[in-house]
Amino acid sequence: MWRPMQRPALVVTALGTLWLSVGTSGQSTPASSTSNGEWPHYTGDLRGTKYSPLDQINASNFNKLEIAWRFKTDSLGTRPEYKLEGTPLMVSGVLYATGGTRRAVVALDAQSGELLWVHRYPEGPRGANAPRQLSGRGLAYWSDGRGDNRVLYVTPGYRLIALNAKTGLPIKSFGKDGVLDLKAGVVFGSGQQIDLETGEIGLHSTPTVVKDTIIVGSSMKEGMTITTHNNTKGLVRAFDVRTGKLQWTFNTIPRPGEVGNDTWLNGSWAVNGNAGVWTQITVDEELGLVYLPVESPSSDYYGGKRPGNNLFGESLVCVDLKTGQRKWHFQLVHHPIWDHDISSAPLLLDVTIDGKPRKLVAQPTKQTFLYVFDRVTGEPVWPIVETKVPPGDVPGEWYSPTQPIPSKPPAYGRPGLRIPDELIDFTPDMRAQAVENMKRYKWGGDYPYSGTLYNPPIVGDVKGLLGALNLGNASGGTNWPGAGADPETGIVYAQANMSAFTPESVAPPPAGFSDIPYQAGVVGQPFRLRVAAGTGTYADVNQAQRAAVEEATSPAAPAGAQPARAYNAVEGLSMVKPPYGVMSAIDLRRGELKWQVPHGDTPDIVRNHAKLKGINIPKTGQGGSVGVLVTKTLVIAGDPLVTTTPNHPRGAMMRAYNKETGEEVGAVWMPAQVSGSPMTYRIGGRQFIVIAVSGGNYSGEYIAFALPASDLRDTGGGGTQQ
Amino acid sequence: MRDARERAALSAIVIACVMFVVVAFAQSAGSSVWDGVFTDEQVKRGAVSYQQECSNCHGAALEGGDMTPPLVGGGFTSNWNDLTVGDLFDRIRLTMPLDSPGKLSRQQNADVIAFILKTNAWPSGTTDLPPESGALKQIKIETARR
Repeated sequence: MWRPMQRPALVVTALGTLWLSVGTSGQSTPASSTSNGEWPHYTGDLRGTKYSPLDQINASNFNKLEIAWRFKTDSLGTRPEYKLEGTPLMVSGVLYATGGTRRAVVALDAQSGELLWVHRYPEGPRGANAPRQLSGRGLAYWSDGRGDNRVLYVTPGYRLIALNAKTGLPIKSFGKDGVLDLKAGVVFGSGQQIDLETGEIGLHSTPTVVKDTIIVGSSMKEGMTITTHNNTKGLVRAFDVRTGKLQWTFNTIPRPGEVGNDTWLNGSWAVNGNAGVWTQITVDEELGLVYLPVESPSSDYYGGKRPGNNLFGESLVCVDLKTGQRKWHFQLVHHPIWDHDISSAPLLLDVTIDGKPRKLVAQPTKQTFLYVFDRVTGEPVWPIVETKVPPGDVPGEWYSPTQPIPSKPPAYGRPGLRIPDELIDFTPDMRAQAVENMKRYKWGGDYPYSGTLYNPPIVGDVKGLLGALNLGNASGGTNWPGAGADPETGIVYAQANMSAFTPESVAPPPAGFSDIPYQAGVVGQPFRLRVAAGTGTYADVNQAQRAAVEEATSPAAPAGAQPARAYNAVEGLSMVKPPYGVMSAIDLRRGELKWQVPHGDTPDIVRNHAKLKGINIPKTGQGGSVGVLVTKTLVIAGDPLVTTTPNHPRGAMMRAYNKETGEEVGAVWMPAQVSGSPMTYRIGGRQFIVIAVSGGNYSGEYIAFALPASDLRDTGGGGTQQ
Repeated sequence: MRDARERAALSAIVIACVMFVVVAFAQSAGSSVWDGVFTDEQVKRGAVSYQQECSNCHGAALEGGDMTPPLVGGGFTSNWNDLTVGDLFDRIRLTMPLDSPGKLSRQQNADVIAFILKTNAWPSGTTDLPPESGALKQIKIETARR
């Protein structure tokens, strides 16, 4: 299948010196780990912590960080990418990352940023059909300790590719010539194979490598507006990392005879899809347990075709590493109709609670509840209470009367809204306008459980109510960048979006579009197809295909169309009071919030607003979702928005917080907002922090920060540690 | 005391003069979105193109979506404050619509920008936004009127 035209273009530079640090054939090398200054997994370790014990960069010198090197990803595809979400890996002095609209893989010298090789795998129409395009979150690394070193990633067209880490060439003995077709074995309905070219499935998170096994999840199209509820079924599979041979499959929609099948009433398991695992999977290697965060079944806002609780939709599932057999599960949201998903890596921590050592798994969420379980048994560490939630009235929908709400720790963000107390109040007029705007939404009941949390979607109408107000769902709280933790203290650090105001409404889609009677939309407004970021940007989409997609997805424009009025903002400002975004520390030893601070500069529109002149507004923080990096003494995260302030020119800051207190101890300027989670490593006696930035007018770039070499010489920091 | 007050007054005058020169120089170098740089007629044309080509992702009210940046309010100004209309024009011209870049003509792109600026409550004027990057790069996007 490797035609000459499709071979990966290789850029191989003088590697000899670099390879001195790479294990040579026949000699066993120590396992890669953050404890020796590397970053071998997307989240640093397999436990999802994003923790590194490095401390050369600390509170005393964070402000001295300078750009050591930068790598622009524009040329890794036919056009620039403006949503670079990757977190690189660093092993043995080489940095590996994905980038560009081709989702190419690059290897860079970790000290200088020099390009060592680049791999590309053109997929043609299969890539153009991918439900999850763009460059993805990154890749995985495996070594046998004796010189067989591999990087593995999933292409937009859902192929698992194994590359020689030294050369970037495919490992011929893996799959077929280095490529495993992940679409083979993927089904819809009661077991029908999907089409290998056009079948709907992909993955933008990274595979997870543990021992000699590689675990791969699944992601479908955005589930708000889809043509059928009977789309591809979610699954997680494990393969032999040496050969690509299938080891096990876990069906996230259980088949007859499997636990949970009876939660799909009327046999609806057979005619529904999705429930993928699109975010990071974590593993307890010692216990041999894998933790799967499962997303919503089809469709996101309407579940009338799938009566019942719908396991394992929006559940945390623990399976056996060797067999894939379910050990335990906990459904965080019954019969999902809010797009809560489970959006980020579960965190595995060993913590002493009430004098007893406990093995925990803690799951951050969009609702900003941290669900904490004994990770061996699945028992909640603190009671998780089934709480009555309001019923809905969308025709044909099935509603769960209760949802499980953690009693501890407290929410680390804003799962619901106290109305009107938490509406904007910079001026009395603004508050009055917000109260008036609220008349266009359905909300009510007591905070938070029957007001704006688990508030079921309504059939919205431009002539009446526009939607049911929710705050901590689709893009609220903690999304895919996830949280981090200090494994030594058991403290979780999480950023949360506090201002994602989401009116949820469904409406009948255009005739003939779908077999789902209600989809995201508002009666009286043109139908809008909701697609994943980057859809249509894959490098091999040609103009004719683009035109066809456009034709199929564009709503008819009414003559002389005027903009619909946005009711979810006041004078261009968020309807809700600041803080718009926070950074929190949650102490799992006590189940308490340790500290919480606004994260991000006050947005320009607030600081410069004509109607807010002379009003003293404390730092608001920023909405949006960003990842954290946890080091020995710091929590580090970038701003989700660009600002221009008296303290810095147009740009965004990467900030460092004191882990103990939440005090901001330093900030360095970046040319654009952060779009991928930061990572860190040490080589040549120098600690680096690499972060992906992009957005607005700034195309994707990895930027490496380090302390000035002169400072390191002064402090004797330029030692020979790896 | 009197000398001190006179010195303070003199300093204030000098500072004011310097500020005036600086501001005058800045204005001579270009204009801003506060200066009435598009027409209502252009906004009408832009609204039609917007609803046809942009609203599917960015929303009928420009509010954006789960995966799409808003083109109104703080989310929009965060991305574009302190840049120029020309920067926005080039971003649209080169990369939008996402699934068919270059589909809109330069004139249509300029019209869509007029519609976006109007929706963000910047004032209309008597001349259209020109469909030229170079000219548009003289017009700054600013959340605050200078």
